[in-house]
Amino acid sequence: MSATAIDKQEVGLEGLIRLRLAGPLTAATAPRLRARVRNMVQRGHARVMVDLQAVTGLDAAGIAALLDARRALLAQAGGTLVLRTNAIVCRALKDSGTIAVFALSHGSGM
Amino acid sequence: MNAVEHQGADAPSHPDSRPAEQGIVISRGLRVYLRTMTPADLRHLSGWVDDPFLERMVGSEFLHSYKHVWDKSPAFYEAVLNDPTQVALMIEACHGWTKPVGVVRLFNIHLLEGYAFLETIITDMRAMKRGFGIEAAKLIAYYGMDVLGLRRLEAKVYEYNVLSMNSLRRNGFRQEGVLRQAGYDGERYWDLVIFGILKDEIEAVRRRDKVYLPLDPSEGNGREPS
Repeated sequence: MSATAIDKQEVGLEGLIRLRLAGPLTAATAPRLRARVRNMVQRGHARVMVDLQAVTGLDAAGIAALLDARRALLAQAGGTLVLRTNAIVCRALKDSGTIAVFALSHGSGM
Repeated sequence: MNAVEHQGADAPSHPDSRPAEQGIVISRGLRVYLRTMTPADLRHLSGWVDDPFLERMVGSEFLHSYKHVWDKSPAFYEAVLNDPTQVALMIEACHGWTKPVGVVRLFNIHLLEGYAFLETIITDMRAMKRGFGIEAAKLIAYYGMDVLGLRRLEAKVYEYNVLSMNSLRRNGFRQEGVLRQAGYDGERYWDLVIFGILKDEIEAVRRRDKVYLPLDPSEGNGREPS
């Protein structure tokens, strides 16, 4: 079991900030994502893309963290959350019945 | 004073210095702590799935799946780890045990609707009636509410499993109904008793919790009249 690596990149396009995650996003690692998103909201960032293309596993705790991130960001003025997914993430979101609530990007990113 | 603490939403991913291969501690109580599964835990599961007492008392789909669907394959570990509808955690006693005393899990998790099912399995006979299962269920219930955002938990118990029914009641669960002859043990059909608990009731248990949780052997007496 390895930790999730989180890398932040500021990008200009549409004012989105990209958080790039690598490794499993699970009960053991999801708290880091929650902390990062909360920190970003406190800093006034409300438009975020979470890049999950390098995520290797996603469990209920990981999805709960994404749902929390969505709630926190949408509660801000102009807030948005976009997920950049891969097949593993898409499968997990479908299996959990949550895929419809997220804005997804399957493209090459920003 | 809170008797338990778990890795909250903002806690670091690795709250202690345990090597990752030993699992990450997710929640800690006075008697037990819950940690993530590791590939090495399959060795424990292999023994548990062949225990006829566990099969009769719990009838766990989790253990059944490992044995009969996955044929004890190592791939079961990855399947559990990446299952977005369940969180399965190993129960470790804080003192006196050198191996896990069981497994506790939330399954059929519906994140948007906010409900899930609870299963607690204490696998070591010596670990029974020590409050381990009660505390493990309490810890994962708090985790489900605080981290997963759940607002309701359900549990099913065979009508003859008085110990599990009393454990659920001690954690604030209420008997909500009976599924008549819904369980089969290979010889005859048994009723399944349905228990449930809501978020405010879990909160009430958390407020009520004492550091020391003495067990009263006379408490409860199986299922209530239907």
